Amino acid sequence: MDALSEVVSVLYQFGTNAVFLLLSAIGLIVILGMMNIINLAHGEFMMMGAYIATIATEHGSPLPVAAFLSFLGVALFGMILERLVIRRFYGRELGALVVTWGISLILAQGALLLFGPYMPAIAIPSGSFSLGRYSFSYYWLILIAVSIILVGALWLIYNRTSFGLMARATMQNPAMARSLGVDVEKVYALTFGLGAGLAGLSGALLAPTTSIAPFMGQQFVAPAFITVVVGGGANVIAGAVGSSALLSFVQTPVGLLLGTFSGMVALLLTALIIIRILPAGISSLLQGRSRLAGAR
Amino acid sequence: MRQLFRLIGGSHDIGSSRWFWSALTALAAAFLFYPLFGSEFGATNVAYYLLNIPLGLGLALLWGYGGVLSFGQTAFFTIAGYVYGIVAGNMTENSAGTVVASCAGLAAAGVVSAAFGYFVFFGRVAAWIVPILTLVLTLLLSTFLGLTAGYQWRVGSVLLGGYNGMTGIPALQVGDFVFQGYSFYYVTLALVILCYLGLRMLVNSHPGQVVIAMREDELRTELLGYDVRLQQLGVFVLAALLSGISGLLYVQWGNYITPSSAGLIQATLPVIWVAVGGRDSLLAVCIATFLLNQLTYVLSSQGNQYALVIVGVILVAVMLFAPQGIVVAIARSRWWRRTVDPNASSHG
Amino acid sequence: MAEGFITSDASPPKSARKFDAAPVLRTEALSKRFGGVVAADAINFSVRPGEFRCIIGPNGAGKSTLFALLCGIHRPDSGRIFFKDVEMTALNAFRRVRLGVGLTFQTNRAFHALTVAENLDAARRNRGERRDDHFRHALSAFRLQDSLHFSARILPHHQLQWLEICMALRQGPEILLLDEPTAGMSPDETLYTAKVLRELSAAGLTIVVVEHDIAFVREVADSVSVLHFGRMFAEGTVAEITARDDVRQIYLGRA
Repeated sequence: MDALSEVVSVLYQFGTNAVFLLLSAIGLIVILGMMNIINLAHGEFMMMGAYIATIATEHGSPLPVAAFLSFLGVALFGMILERLVIRRFYGRELGALVVTWGISLILAQGALLLFGPYMPAIAIPSGSFSLGRYSFSYYWLILIAVSIILVGALWLIYNRTSFGLMARATMQNPAMARSLGVDVEKVYALTFGLGAGLAGLSGALLAPTTSIAPFMGQQFVAPAFITVVVGGGANVIAGAVGSSALLSFVQTPVGLLLGTFSGMVALLLTALIIIRILPAGISSLLQGRSRLAGAR
Repeated sequence: MRQLFRLIGGSHDIGSSRWFWSALTALAAAFLFYPLFGSEFGATNVAYYLLNIPLGLGLALLWGYGGVLSFGQTAFFTIAGYVYGIVAGNMTENSAGTVVASCAGLAAAGVVSAAFGYFVFFGRVAAWIVPILTLVLTLLLSTFLGLTAGYQWRVGSVLLGGYNGMTGIPALQVGDFVFQGYSFYYVTLALVILCYLGLRMLVNSHPGQVVIAMREDELRTELLGYDVRLQQLGVFVLAALLSGISGLLYVQWGNYITPSSAGLIQATLPVIWVAVGGRDSLLAVCIATFLLNQLTYVLSSQGNQYALVIVGVILVAVMLFAPQGIVVAIARSRWWRRTVDPNASSHG
Repeated sequence: MAEGFITSDASPPKSARKFDAAPVLRTEALSKRFGGVVAADAINFSVRPGEFRCIIGPNGAGKSTLFALLCGIHRPDSGRIFFKDVEMTALNAFRRVRLGVGLTFQTNRAFHALTVAENLDAARRNRGERRDDHFRHALSAFRLQDSLHFSARILPHHQLQWLEICMALRQGPEILLLDEPTAGMSPDETLYTAKVLRELSAAGLTIVVVEHDIAFVREVADSVSVLHFGRMFAEGTVAEITARDDVRQIYLGRA
């Protein structure tokens, strides 16, 4: 019985780490992976989602409704931001990076000034079960299921709907898409909004597992970017799923043996090693593409 | 000697006319004579605004001239400061202790940047990955240092101090002379001027051209026979050393250092100074660093909570409306060339 | 910037030249795929010292891929590349340049943030200076010493192309690889470029040019390699190639 509970505990830990990475990354997959915008305000989008969810649950709405409101709220914010600011930085990667950094400062400091340093926590719903000397919360298992559904839905949207087809065409060649009658501006706005909304949704979903504070977004930034970078651009969705599994595979044993911080260090080191060997991320392996000799 | 002046006067920084050099010399003189009019406290404050300039210059070189954006310069700033504190704290009986500590601090910054840079540049990663990885590096460092509270976290007799950081760091001393107050001010000023002139010579020299060429077109530079990975690593390490100089000056200024020096907000600041000043001009970055440091210091010592929001807004505004930097925009504007300095070239 | 480049004087005579020495640049069964497209299909290519070779072929034939493989921008899937007797296949691009290969590109890649003099300076690597006679000839023939202090940003297109050629020659390479050097030039400028390149070739420089312009090829080439669908389709002198029906047909799309 003991051995079983140990095994289950490790598997559970692996699953939760992977889900954390995947949920942190999912909004960024759309914005960075498809639009090539390095969005350093990603953590703040998640923070906004968590705040909306917190306020909603404080007013009595159940978590799924609150999460949905987070999705809508942050998506809307994202579309406005895209229209006003982001639009001018297409093709200017480092410029987008710096300006989203400024936005993240404004959002985080703004949250601090508006709401103060603490927000009430959201209780983890659904209870837990125990096995041996460990108790496992059902919520993470729910999150695993939800993230699989989300990733699947995202894949379906992009590969099986006409919006997805238009979006992919626009990302690859906006001039061509325009000449085929696609409203490129609208595609950009909707895509950015989708990415922002997903980040908000993730923030709401992960909110019960952490404390709600103005700078909470920062805990997601490093894992999100590492996951997307290791996943690579050849196949953004599959790459991110693969990379969250791979990274969790490294992070879990290190974290269990040496502590959470060492787990984060292991993530960074793994990322460094992988980009040294596979500069285009692990999705280039999945696509079977040959590696370009050094030139970008 | 003429070669020296030609290098300094080259075109890869704003300002090259006679008027410009006279103005700059006057400015330097003003700084030199400031202590006669200001108090020691005032001089220490001005020294604070000055000591961050090498940090900004390192990023300007790396990003503005070399095309590599790093969000992690503060990591090397912090490493140099902590290592200095550790070595100097353990060598208090030795009069050369602080000098050794300074060398150790710089060496540590150099070694870490070389190791980190090897993985990043020899992996030929896409340009946007570098800022993210360097950001992660500095955040991890800051987190790690924050965990070091408690007596078991010490090197020799020096406590790392966790969130509260390391205190009681000894000031630099050469022989029996301790650099504090006015003497610290002059050391800082001298180092800043040296760094600026040295870098200005570098960017106008042949190695500097190669760095600029690398920013413009990496592939082409490689196809002229240069090992671009090595070049980028070299610039990265040089920028780290400059950050280390600022870190060393910082621990002299306050005799303490905390993990927040490597934290998120501090990591932002050099990028803001360089973006606001104008990343392809060393002088613009000096000016912007000085003024912005003054701004944030004054605002936060007044208890103004909006300091960082203001800085964030400035950054976004500059990126939207004056992406080449405010100082550079002014220096290259027609207004400047017509009314203030008719001899300025439109190119530099 | 018409300065009378019309050449009524003839280029150095293009009599049939004999080349016996061992090849300077050689590939064995060089192949490269991109996804499902075979861009290079077991190409055997060799150039002897002093030869002036043009690589031609219809669009999509794989000329740019071959060029990129020779430079080191892409690694081949299979096959080998030799520079004299040194195998270059696994070498990084910058190492190939250091061996003695000079290159220019189809889209001009001079450094706009630098002056002409600085561009040329950047092209000089300070180490292992070899011969600079080709460089000096090109510099004076293209009259770039009059523009040394101009920023590259303000140069007209043809002068930028000439600057690139001079930069490629700065380190005294033994072989010059050019990708459509006269793209975007007027007919006069094209002829003048051909003249200067012929002069360099007569002085012993091995030159390989990827080219579209048949008139240019006729002016300069000792021999021609024709690519088609990534394969080496035909090789021979200009006269031989232009007389062949099958070559004409691949251009018209009937093959």
